[in-house]
Amino acid sequence: MDQKIMGIPEIKQCQENRYPCLFVDRIIEVDPGETARGYKNFTYNEWFFPAHFEDEPSVPGFVQVECLVQVFIMTFLSMPEYQGKKTNFAAIDHVKFRYKIEPGDRLDIVAKLVSLKRGIAKGFAESFVDGKPACSAEFVVTIPDVFDQYRPQK
Amino acid sequence: MNALEKYNQVIMECFGISDESALANLEYQGIPEWDSVGHMDLIAELEDKFDIMMDTDDIIDFSSYEKGKEILKKYSIDM
Repeated sequence: MDQKIMGIPEIKQCQENRYPCLFVDRIIEVDPGETARGYKNFTYNEWFFPAHFEDEPSVPGFVQVECLVQVFIMTFLSMPEYQGKKTNFAAIDHVKFRYKIEPGDRLDIVAKLVSLKRGIAKGFAESFVDGKPACSAEFVVTIPDVFDQYRPQK
Repeated sequence: MNALEKYNQVIMECFGISDESALANLEYQGIPEWDSVGHMDLIAELEDKFDIMMDTDDIIDFSSYEKGKEILKKYSIDM
């Protein structure tokens, strides 16, 4: 596995998510076309904590899923031919939420690309807080620039 | 299992169809399951089952159950 650390500038070269929707702070390992490992730090200054919830802040489920998929897409956006491409969700399956993530927590995320063919990427990601399982999910993500070439013309 | 039975089985499993009589009129975007992602899953399954690799033009042209049968003939799969 390539030992490669990507900070925000490098992550932004690979994917098009931007503030306030960029939900990965660092990629600490990536094996392009195979796996990626990264993390997201959560500070109370995140825009969603005061609303979710005012008396008991925790990371909303949709944000957790977005953190996971943004590390997942790095498994193939780290490949030169896909760098900078937009991606779309096609499916999210078997999502599990096992831990209440709070301000001050760091979400460690591990993602695996199972297959990438004709612009459809399939795989999964798992995440942990202090080694405890947090959120996990399976993903099908499309790369429209590639995928759209194969759509039947109707 | 002959080629036609195999073809039918792939499509029925891909799209969750239980009634074989529904296949004849099946076309891309004719049912919710046969959307663009379902289309690529179908192509991948057919390639696996018949051990073929389809050309891009054929993937694009594969717009219905009947058209699919014509296209697979090009790969020596006779139904």
